[in-house]
Amino acid sequence: MNADTLAAVQPAVELEGITKRFPGVVANHDIRITVEPGTVHAIVGENGAGKSTLMKILYGMQKPDEGTIKVNGVEVAFRTPSDAINAGIGMVHQHFMLADNFTVLENIVLGAEPKKGGRLDAAGARARISELAAGHGLRVDPDRLVEDLGVGDRQRVEILKVLYRGARILILDEPTAVLVPQEVDELFDNLRELKAEGLTVIFISHKLDEVLSIADAITVIRRGTTVASVDPAEVTARQLAELMVGSELPTPETRESTVTDETALKVSGLTMEADGFRPVPKGTSIPLYVERLRAEGRRLLLDDVSFEIHRGEILGIAGVEGNGQSELIEAIMGMRPVHGDISLDGADISTWSTLKRRESGIGYIPEDRHRQGLLLEASLWENRVLGHQTRPPARKGIWVNRRSSRADTERIVKDYDVRTPSVDTLALALSGGNQQKLIVGREMSGEPKFLIAAHPTRGVDVGAQAAIWDHLRNARAAGLAVLLISADLDELIGLSDTLRVIYGGRLVASLDPCDVTPERLGGYMTGAITSTEET
Amino acid sequence: MPAGLYRALLTVVGAIAAIVLAIVISSVAIIAAGASPEAAFAAFFDFGETERAVVNGIVTMLNRAVPLFIAGLAVAVGFRMNLFNIGVEGQYRIAAVCAAYVGSTFAAPAWIQIPVIIVVAMAVGGFYALIPAVMKVTRGVNEVIATIMLNYIAINLAAFLVRGPFTGERAKGVLTTTTPTLPESAWFPNLNVLFEMFGLPAPRGGGLWGFLLVAVLLGIGLWVVLERTRFGFEVKASGLNASAALASGVSPKKMVISAMVLSGAIAGLIGMPEILGDKHSFGSNFTPGLGFLGIAVALLGRNKPAGIAVAALLFGFLDRAQGPLQFANVPPSVIMIMQGTIVLLVVIANEITSRIALRREERRAAQQLGRNTPVEVAA
Amino acid sequence: MLSKRFGRMAAGSIAGAMLMAAAACGGSGGTGGDATSSAAPTSGASSEAPKSGALKVGLAFDVGGRGDKSFNDAAYAGLEKAKTELKADIKELSPAADGSNRGELLRQLADAGYNPIIGVGFAYGDDIKKTAEEYPEIQFAVVDSASNAPNVTGLLFAEEQGSYLAGVAAATKAKSGHVGFVGGVENDLIKKFQAGFEAGVKSVKKDAKIDIKYLTPDGDFSGFKSPDKGKVAAEKMYQDGAEIVYHAAGDSGLGVFQAAAAAKKKAIGVDSDQRQTVKEADLQPVIMTSMLKRVDVGVFEFVKAFQGGAKGGSNTIYDLKVDGVGLATTGGEIDDIQDKLDAAKQDIIDGKITVPSKP
Repeated sequence: MNADTLAAVQPAVELEGITKRFPGVVANHDIRITVEPGTVHAIVGENGAGKSTLMKILYGMQKPDEGTIKVNGVEVAFRTPSDAINAGIGMVHQHFMLADNFTVLENIVLGAEPKKGGRLDAAGARARISELAAGHGLRVDPDRLVEDLGVGDRQRVEILKVLYRGARILILDEPTAVLVPQEVDELFDNLRELKAEGLTVIFISHKLDEVLSIADAITVIRRGTTVASVDPAEVTARQLAELMVGSELPTPETRESTVTDETALKVSGLTMEADGFRPVPKGTSIPLYVERLRAEGRRLLLDDVSFEIHRGEILGIAGVEGNGQSELIEAIMGMRPVHGDISLDGADISTWSTLKRRESGIGYIPEDRHRQGLLLEASLWENRVLGHQTRPPARKGIWVNRRSSRADTERIVKDYDVRTPSVDTLALALSGGNQQKLIVGREMSGEPKFLIAAHPTRGVDVGAQAAIWDHLRNARAAGLAVLLISADLDELIGLSDTLRVIYGGRLVASLDPCDVTPERLGGYMTGAITSTEET
Repeated sequence: MPAGLYRALLTVVGAIAAIVLAIVISSVAIIAAGASPEAAFAAFFDFGETERAVVNGIVTMLNRAVPLFIAGLAVAVGFRMNLFNIGVEGQYRIAAVCAAYVGSTFAAPAWIQIPVIIVVAMAVGGFYALIPAVMKVTRGVNEVIATIMLNYIAINLAAFLVRGPFTGERAKGVLTTTTPTLPESAWFPNLNVLFEMFGLPAPRGGGLWGFLLVAVLLGIGLWVVLERTRFGFEVKASGLNASAALASGVSPKKMVISAMVLSGAIAGLIGMPEILGDKHSFGSNFTPGLGFLGIAVALLGRNKPAGIAVAALLFGFLDRAQGPLQFANVPPSVIMIMQGTIVLLVVIANEITSRIALRREERRAAQQLGRNTPVEVAA
Repeated sequence: MLSKRFGRMAAGSIAGAMLMAAAACGGSGGTGGDATSSAAPTSGASSEAPKSGALKVGLAFDVGGRGDKSFNDAAYAGLEKAKTELKADIKELSPAADGSNRGELLRQLADAGYNPIIGVGFAYGDDIKKTAEEYPEIQFAVVDSASNAPNVTGLLFAEEQGSYLAGVAAATKAKSGHVGFVGGVENDLIKKFQAGFEAGVKSVKKDAKIDIKYLTPDGDFSGFKSPDKGKVAAEKMYQDGAEIVYHAAGDSGLGVFQAAAAAKKKAIGVDSDQRQTVKEADLQPVIMTSMLKRVDVGVFEFVKAFQGGAKGGSNTIYDLKVDGVGLATTGGEIDDIQDKLDAAKQDIIDGKITVPSKP
């Protein structure tokens, strides 16, 4: 913003007393934020503190019940995101919204296609994109397919897309959650350039080191309301954390080792083709067959994955999403056919059904609780039955034992601190953290021998996070073997006894969590470091 | 106000609004057809002048509702796990012709004869539904397409069977083709005693079909299976969230096969009240189209046995007016307009009221949360 | 969503309310019932006797109902004639689309005091029998089905004879000897049309090619009211080279005429003189002739006989001899072959030719 004197004195965005009553999750209450133009303004708060709701309000996806929004000094009332876009506000979502099989250019112009005589004006679009990219240091090749791009490049495409629509105020929702440390540095360079160009960036995060390194101003949100506005030069990460949490920061650290010699789960040579399972031809052994698949250059989702987990051990799997984690889970749960052997407590379970695997003591905290973990339109006690429908207390002969299922759900609600009016409440009325606690409680009941915990604390509030960590630690001390898959490197390093890195469907590194930094882990996850070191 | 009562009241209000709207829309159609809406709506409630005529009207309505109820149940079993068994039509016709023929080939005491016929009907219906289920499970063929195609096969096959291998004798000068008449031991006793108990005259014709009792038992049984058993839970889970069901060890293949076969077996019963209680054979005059009507009934009844019963009665009530409407010089197509608009509007009304109810429940849950939640979270 | 939970209540309240209202209405109206009305159904005698002197004729149509410009409309023409000439009070009812309430319609007519009552279509056979037993004091007639009770008159038509003449006309007019037949529903009644038509065609040209197509299998009456299906079937025949298509498909025949008009070829109508009854002016010229099945005559004669005191229990047969069937001459397209047709007709009447009634 150079000459416009009005805009120079007016804040870019001013939120006054924003209140949103929103059932089931933490709502916004009397939020006050002033964002100066040409700055990076960080909004920090724990997961579930109400940041996302606030951003949805600012982006026109939800209407506040009370309060006013001013953009460049003018009061606005957004009804839809397009109102926000027209006011110069753009949003880069945490989960990218790109069409994989379109080129970068097509993705950027999608929905705002420049037309020349009714046809797409590709040349005009290309010129504008090049101009924007050069002007803001966002280098991407407009003709590459998005599916060939890495995560960092995709994010730049998202930012370009927003700029292309004329945004002068950018909202970035947890932009670093999917990035490895090296990519985070690149992103920050881009943000600094945007700032230099006079654009305003609202940066939402709960990673304090990052916030302190990039932000010009910080607003802290706790329990749905703004608790402090601070200058990053004057606070430490520790102080900021305490502002966010309102108490001492929990750590995921596991204390003394409880690993035993008894193997609980052993997988060897797990291999999965990308283009559908085909049985191994007669007369060929699995290794030979897999060898042949590799020689043919077929893409493998899982490539000769082998590991053991002992009783009392947490094995962490680190990796950028989409490198075979989901496939590994599905293979172990028996939801997807795979080559190789899986044994539980010495018994070969490779050919067992999902049900039989569960019955024999495998618990599963799914990565996406809404998709795989819950019946949202069913009551809590029915969700307790899910996955345990063949075992007591949920089952009584051919019947569902409603009374004991209810009673056991009451137990979970109490022991795992699930906050709900009753066990008959529908699962969708609960907040994410409480839903997750219910799932953890369910999967821990029935005394599992082995637990798959995929992103067990994703999107839950800090209290629930600490509670879930405690439960995992206690179960581990009692002899449970856990396969922990997470995108939260602190969680992985803090909880795991052993750490493996998955990259391109292969386990590429075995690391000692006591002596690894997130940066080095990131190097392995992106394939930047390839040498395997023994622990 | 307790949540249940609130929900009930809200639903009633929604239903009344839907009915009023349906009446308004139908009135417009009636006026457009050049008739008087008052005469039309009077005709719906005109059950005749004598006690006997009233009894006849009620019996007509109930006899119409019985097969519709069974058809609705058959469709609902599939619907509850997002399986669209459009093939109920074919399943019940093929089941009816086979059961009618098998029943005519032997004569045993009624307590053997009737159950055998019913079992044959269920087995044939179930088997015919197994075909699309297997196609879906092994080859991923969409069950909607498979069942629609199988309907054509079933309808033509039934017509062939009744004209060919299964055909019975017929009197000279009669042009209808039928299977051989069932022996009297296969005639399902009627329920006219219900009317006589109240000192009312017995209805004419076949009387009130005794199969009504079987249908009621079937409805109760199905409710128990769907709402109380492990199988019912797995059906519900598969319908609400297929991937969660899969992750929970519910085998989708097993569920598709068992739900389709159950649906087909129930569909096999649709023709039984008519065959056992009235016509005593399968023939040219066998009522077609009940399988398709069952879809509308299940939709209106929200896939719940009790709701389906009420929806079937409503359809029976409307269909009964076919004659009275024409006496009142109203085109009887108004019945179909009313059935269509009511199904549509009640579905819309339910969606709206359930959203209102859900929002209230969430608010209550949130209030409860606020009350129970400590101000600071302990770390 | 969770709306499933509420469905039954909604639907429940609707039908519940309607049921109660229905019961209330019925109850209040029922007080006038006579004392004998609680007798067993077979004893009958419960319905109100029709007012003496007034002739009230009730008629129940077959599936398709009024307006098919063919079979049902022919029956209605007879009924209207009874109204104008015999001063009868008339009421006609159409059944539900699936034909599930035929018996109920007859009972409703009987209860409303109509006597005589006519069921149009062979499908009424069973229902007429049952209803006639319940109402022995009422006279019934059924078209296309034999008498099966003392108070039932069967009105039978020799469709095969009329169709034979249609076949002669078609084969004579079609130079290539390629003709077609579209049947509505594949049942024994329509097969009579097919059998007669085939015999007539073969009598002229032994090697004639006859395309046969039925629209729906037996039991599915939609074949009588699906002009779309009729059109597709006839289009195929015309494309394959058929010059003249004869239909016995009720309302679906309209589609046959449309196909004929599009292909600039000819068709033969059925039951009524369709060149007159079809309203579309562009379709009339394609109707070379129509096989008349004088259901109107049958209905009118039955009502007249009833007025004269006739009782049922027997069949009345309408064949070529009494002009109960025949060919329409509207348009004059078959005037040039009238001699040939008359000769064939005479041979049938004299018994020199026996027309098969099964193909």
